[in-house]
Amino acid sequence: MPTDRILSFTVNGEPVRLLVEPAQTLLEVLRGPLRLTGTKHGCDVGDCGACTVLVDGAPRLSCITLAVGCEGARVETIEGVATPAGPDPIQAAFDHHVAAQCGYCTPGFVMTLRHLFAENPTANEAELREALGSNLCRCTGYTKILTAAREAQAIYAGKS
Amino acid sequence: MLPLPRFDFADPTDLAELVRLAGEPGARLVSGGTDLLPSMKHRLFAPTRLVSTMRVPELRQVEPLPEGGLSLGAAVTLREVAAMPVVQRDYPALAKAARTVATPTIQAMGTIGGNVMLDTRCRYYNQPAGWRVALGGCLKCEGPVCHVAPKGKGCYAAHSADTVPVMMLLDVSVVFATAHGERHVPIRELYGVDGRTWLQVPGGSVLVRLEVPPPGAPIAYRKLRARGAIDYPQLLTAVQHIHDTWRCVVSAVGPAPLRLEATSPPELVEAAMAEVQPLTTHLASPAWRKKLVRVELARAMAELGIG
Amino acid sequence: MRQPEPVPSPIGAYARKIDGRERIAGRAQFVADLTVPRMAHAKFVRSPHPHARIVAIHLDAALALPGVFGACIGEELPKRYGVIPVAQDETALALGKVRYIGEPVVCIAAVDEETAHRACAAVRVDYEVLPPVLTIEDALDASKPVIHDYARKPSNVLRRVHQAYGNVDAGFAAAEVVIEEEYVYPGSTHAALESHAALAQVEPDGKLTLWSSTQNPHYVHRDVARVLGLREQDVRLIKPAVGAGYGGKCDPFCTDICSAYLARKLGRPVRIVLEREEVFYAHRGRHPTRLWLKMGFSAAGDITAIDFKAWADGGAYASYGVVTSYYLGVFMTLPYRVENYRFESHRLYTNKPPCGPKRGHGAIQPRFALEAHLDKAAARLGLDPAELRRRNCIEPNTETCNGLRVTSVGIRECIDAVVKASGYETRRGTLGPGRGLGLAASAYMCGALHPVYQNEMPHSAVQVKIDRSGEVVVSAGTADIGQGSNHMLAGLVAAELGLHPEDIRVIEGDTSLTPVDLGSYSSRVTFMAGNAALAGVRPLRAKIVEAVAAKLGCAPEEVRFGLAGHPERGDGPRVGTETSDVSWVDAVWLAEERFGPLIHAGGYTPPKIGSRFRRQSVGPSPAYSFTAQVAEVAVDEETGEVRVEKVWVAHDCGRVLNLAIVEGQIEGCVYMGVGEAVSEEQAYDKGLIRAPSLLEYKVPTIHECPEIVVFPVESHDPEGPLGAKEAGEGPQLSTVPAIANAIHDATGLWLNDPPFTPEKVLRALDRRRRSGGR
Repeated sequence: MPTDRILSFTVNGEPVRLLVEPAQTLLEVLRGPLRLTGTKHGCDVGDCGACTVLVDGAPRLSCITLAVGCEGARVETIEGVATPAGPDPIQAAFDHHVAAQCGYCTPGFVMTLRHLFAENPTANEAELREALGSNLCRCTGYTKILTAAREAQAIYAGKS
Repeated sequence: MLPLPRFDFADPTDLAELVRLAGEPGARLVSGGTDLLPSMKHRLFAPTRLVSTMRVPELRQVEPLPEGGLSLGAAVTLREVAAMPVVQRDYPALAKAARTVATPTIQAMGTIGGNVMLDTRCRYYNQPAGWRVALGGCLKCEGPVCHVAPKGKGCYAAHSADTVPVMMLLDVSVVFATAHGERHVPIRELYGVDGRTWLQVPGGSVLVRLEVPPPGAPIAYRKLRARGAIDYPQLLTAVQHIHDTWRCVVSAVGPAPLRLEATSPPELVEAAMAEVQPLTTHLASPAWRKKLVRVELARAMAELGIG
Repeated sequence: MRQPEPVPSPIGAYARKIDGRERIAGRAQFVADLTVPRMAHAKFVRSPHPHARIVAIHLDAALALPGVFGACIGEELPKRYGVIPVAQDETALALGKVRYIGEPVVCIAAVDEETAHRACAAVRVDYEVLPPVLTIEDALDASKPVIHDYARKPSNVLRRVHQAYGNVDAGFAAAEVVIEEEYVYPGSTHAALESHAALAQVEPDGKLTLWSSTQNPHYVHRDVARVLGLREQDVRLIKPAVGAGYGGKCDPFCTDICSAYLARKLGRPVRIVLEREEVFYAHRGRHPTRLWLKMGFSAAGDITAIDFKAWADGGAYASYGVVTSYYLGVFMTLPYRVENYRFESHRLYTNKPPCGPKRGHGAIQPRFALEAHLDKAAARLGLDPAELRRRNCIEPNTETCNGLRVTSVGIRECIDAVVKASGYETRRGTLGPGRGLGLAASAYMCGALHPVYQNEMPHSAVQVKIDRSGEVVVSAGTADIGQGSNHMLAGLVAAELGLHPEDIRVIEGDTSLTPVDLGSYSSRVTFMAGNAALAGVRPLRAKIVEAVAAKLGCAPEEVRFGLAGHPERGDGPRVGTETSDVSWVDAVWLAEERFGPLIHAGGYTPPKIGSRFRRQSVGPSPAYSFTAQVAEVAVDEETGEVRVEKVWVAHDCGRVLNLAIVEGQIEGCVYMGVGEAVSEEQAYDKGLIRAPSLLEYKVPTIHECPEIVVFPVESHDPEGPLGAKEAGEGPQLSTVPAIANAIHDATGLWLNDPPFTPEKVLRALDRRRRSGGR
């Protein structure tokens, strides 16, 4: 039998220690024992982007990321994006433009954009589209998502 | 949810330990996992232990080579490769190729070494387990017959690594660590003609780094794919013009990338049209992909300002 | 909260959804997010054969695995079900025979998904393989095996519909130009990002609770109870957040029935979440359809007759196929004046996953053919395609030759809007080679006049409760699947009461807490549930008016809602007149004191519209929506790649209730149409689906999605809620033909078989080059 491991990492800034099986993906650990169900499984094999989270600031498809590989890492999920003061500008813009229809892909898009705006706050239209190519949406035709992303970027730029 | 089969895990921090663990029966190396883990979910592989390369410092290193050129650690991510100023300056085609892999998120997970070692792909092979049962399996996994060439004896699964054609024109040297020391393999000799045994390296070898010679003539690189993101290549072309020689690599048409040379652009195109024989490994038809060989080569040469 | 301004009417505003914030925060709970103690996870063993008799099922090895709780097979659930009463042919697990590759045969519950997965792999099923029926031609071939051999009159034709109106032969005789062609429209699937899922739990009182990812809680509720032999009142069906449907979650699925059955059999809750591959087997997608269309035109461009035949390849079970067979033909007389019309459709069985309703159900395929035909006719007659369409447009308040009563009609405004915005009249024909513009128009329904099972009850009911806290709770059996029906209900009720939509709490999709609504299909929800919501709130509003008028000593007609706050009188929103008013909460107190509890349920039953044609029972709607769109495409003549660069789309939705949602629905329709036009196809080789993955089933990414410019057109339907009609399906109908017509403008090619993949387009270009074309 494979040996389980004690995994220590932080999730949305909180330290977590738990026993995981090597075959458990980060997605399974987040959604299972940690009950962070905001991260979604869409395809289970890395095609759709619904399970996108940030690991040490970089985007990861949590459905094909081994939890045991995240020892010591800093994991951020959709649950950690808002602050007590309110939603992140990306979330607010998605809300304002109804860029979340069914909302199943939304957490993944928000995490992709969080990473983009952190890494490249002045991303141009081509770079924005390139980044959004990581995530599939079946409801919106991406139109409202692009609008919301542009608006959020402007708000980020105004803040910094 | 599609579960992974059960396995053990090791993530050594020491190269010698990595090599030792890689040599154990049932072990398999994992870097970004973007190809291996989906394949394991589909039960194409069931290793008893996955050994991660990601914590070994040597595999994460990037440094200039003493005689010029660049050494890229195998576990450097595709995104890191594409973002490096030195790569953008000296090897822009490599940066471009890295940025065409799947999606930006997958580029942030997948590694350059993983791309070099990428499994060959086929529409009959890269499928869920139950689907393959309905098909009756294929030569590369459970079955007795290759559905691409039922009368043949070989497997024709296609090489699909986006960065490799450029690296072949760059004459990259692939450095493996083994229990008996380092081995250097020119990347153009790395791949064989059968989709099952496409990697010409002994088991237990660990890809440590890629040694990229100093930059030479410009390279044009093109990837044909169904959509602007996510997809594996339907056809890869890389072209270079050095003095009186026109060189190209055409890939995604068989287990190994095809490397061709000619003394003029038209001859290069004709050579490719004679050599390249797309098969039904992809959903896009062989006839269309064959036509596109000419178009893509012409466009690549146009990008170089020749042709 | 001080409300210094009058509450603005939410109607028409570009505003967030009342339930948007739970979605952007990842807090919306989908079935897969729900867990209950002792919950087991179940998975399916599926058929590897398109057609075979089940000889034996060997479960011993699977049941012996540690962590396996139990299994069930088809014989345990023999009652056939289906939403359409005349075509109940489905069982949750194959019974005696398997009819498509991927059909569920065994369901196994275990301690976790990995164990259930291993247990399924340990099951052995012995089959006697039968010859499969795989194509339309096979299904029409009487020498082929019959897929459903238990039926009274065994045949692979589920339904043939034949209707004729006017004098079709005379219409053709009077025509200047007659065009007759065949089209082939491909199958495609919904590919909602949330897979089908269900969680069942037996409560301590023995009753069953089932959480299901469904568009149609009511139908799932009925069928689960029937198959399990339970009283409907002992089953509670809850629809939590649903990760979209597009028609793909209209049926009861194996997930629903097997989780419910196993929860009772094993005495523990059971959750089933389909894997992505399995979603492709669940399917219910667009029917691959062969179409034959003949149309006659006068020299001036008037349509003189339409003769139309369709053969729809429906897969192994009926699903909504009987409805499909009607929808293929019924809407062909809109939005144009057609006096002479004949159609014949066949919905067929084949050994493939069942087709069903996908966005624009049944109407997408013929619309493609008809709109392509119109451009061909315009070319033959030397007319502008926009002008040809305009001159044939129907007028408001008319009846079509096939008995559709049409009220509001905004089709001319739609055509004018997109023609003007795109520069169609001046730019068409001037952009090529390799670039072109194409126009198409269409019409769709707003719910069905007749229910799928015979009854005289309301199609929608909405209960409104207002209590002394001031809270307004709207309860409806509707299913918000992302389209915004919760917001629609809140917005209508808020508009009546002078409140913000966010002040309204909506409880929906719970068969024990909410009144019956038939579900989210056939674009019925805004029209029917919206009207029911108004019927629910208006009597309560009248009570408040009367109570406030009595208090203030004014006439009831003077009472206004949503008044601004006032320094002396207090915060808004307030209820009263210009000179005196009371707070909203006080207004509710007054009304509750005067009338007792403020609770009212309103219903919507479609009007009894007598058709001249008795057989016209499937298709007629209380109202119709209209769309026109222009697509601009770039065609790479060397590779064959078609890029849809921009789409201008105008849609007559009657009245905009929320602009952001209406735009989003229309944009989503265009996007889905672009996918069907250029890349998506659910195709099979010998019954084996080619690509059961989001990697190989090519839904468009952001890179393939065009810029979409939306023009809402408001025709103010006399019977719609505040004039509203649908916006969630109709706009997809004209996308594919607009793109096909644009490809013609770009290349001169008429392509009759989407998707227009690069290889198909290049093949057509090469064929023309060989024959000496440009």
